[in-house]
Amino acid sequence: MMKLYVPHVGHMEGLQDLLSGPDNIYAIYMAGTPDYVGTGRTNLGAPGIEEIREQTEYAHDKGVKMEIVLNSSCMGGQHLTPQGFNKIHWYFDRLNDIGIDSITVAEPYFVEMLSKDYNMEVVVSVLSFVDSPQKAEFYEELGADTIVVDPVVNRDFAKLEAIKESVTCGLKLLVNEGCLYQCPFRYAHFNFFSHANGPGPKLNVLDDYYYYKCLSLRINDPQQLIKSPWIRPEDTKRYEHITDTFKIGGRTHFTNWILNNVHAYTNRDYDGNLMDLLDCPRDIRDLFYIPNKELKGTLDQWKQCNKICSDCGYCKRLTERIVRVYSVDDMQSTLQPLKSTGGST
Amino acid sequence: MNITQKLSKNRSVLENKLRDLLAKPVFLIEEDAFALPCGCCGITANARGLQADDLEIFEDHIAQYLKEASLELDIEPSFLFARIIPGTSEIASLNSRVLCNRCYMDFARGSGKKPRPDIYILSLDRRK
Repeated sequence: MMKLYVPHVGHMEGLQDLLSGPDNIYAIYMAGTPDYVGTGRTNLGAPGIEEIREQTEYAHDKGVKMEIVLNSSCMGGQHLTPQGFNKIHWYFDRLNDIGIDSITVAEPYFVEMLSKDYNMEVVVSVLSFVDSPQKAEFYEELGADTIVVDPVVNRDFAKLEAIKESVTCGLKLLVNEGCLYQCPFRYAHFNFFSHANGPGPKLNVLDDYYYYKCLSLRINDPQQLIKSPWIRPEDTKRYEHITDTFKIGGRTHFTNWILNNVHAYTNRDYDGNLMDLLDCPRDIRDLFYIPNKELKGTLDQWKQCNKICSDCGYCKRLTERIVRVYSVDDMQSTLQPLKSTGGST
Repeated sequence: MNITQKLSKNRSVLENKLRDLLAKPVFLIEEDAFALPCGCCGITANARGLQADDLEIFEDHIAQYLKEASLELDIEPSFLFARIIPGTSEIASLNSRVLCNRCYMDFARGSGKKPRPDIYILSLDRRK
């Protein structure tokens, strides 16, 4: 049976919506209070301790586990100061008292701290970028109970199998992050988010440069959409020898969007636009159409792919063949082939 | 047509012209009509995938398209500009703005195309 970790925006009404159906949700996760430890992604909610307590009780009543995500990738050294340490320790105490099932962190110091002093399951975030057996071993040694593997190796089965072999802790795969493969902005962007969504002075930022570049790269080179290491719902069964635990990204989306993903991944089937399922490039969901069903068999190619795109061209050809562009004429939306709207793949 | 229908049509027409011109799926993610407390008003088309090189090569065409979009919404195209993410090649938006007197002085003071690092002027009707 698949264990599915599902995002939650952070307020009780959202949680009630999320857990109102018969869906097979194993656990939900949400950000905590940014006054203590931030997160590496944007958040809609910032639940206080009492709100977390109420929501945890509600989830537990429904038989669903609660995970708090505190995966700031940069604390600016605050956690190493006596004041910072005491504040964060106090916050972990409160979460422990509440009965949180697991905490996801990216900071190695927190992995060790949580594993030594608390009973909560310690989950290493994707923002720790565990993409090798060696790194997995380091984190397990620090005290990780579960590691969310960096999606950059989602299609590298030799690496996934080596990670699996090297540790005894649990592994979790993030299926729909949708970030660029080998994204050059990955570290800088998550560090920016960690400061913007964490303790300390709030940044007065004009534009999220990294996000603009992220979208622009895809619009100017749509094969990046295909190279992004998402895992189709249908293909999750191909990962069962690695793990039975999968995570859906998207804690800033509406409940309806989240449940659409839950249905797709629990049923291991989706007949529609793959872009509907991806968390990250939300702004271009209404620009590109990637027929999920036409991606059948692609994993066989990617399993044997050596990631030297200039020698291969498979993703480029696939993009040209199946990706379409939404175009609006006379108030009617139509789908056009990529070539007719440019798009230099 | 009501104002939202006009804006919706305006957005798609401008987007299609840009796509045909640049041979790539430029995305106008949102088009807004605005009125500011200072007296400025106009339209903003937030763009994704449009870059400074596109603007430099096809400036006349893009300015013309923006002028037509502006006129279509009965907005005098007296000041057309692109907003750039400073220090990058990314264009955040295309704008047509009817300037209030104070803002006019801010923008008209210089003679160059970039009165600020984030502003690239496509056209500005100088007042006497």
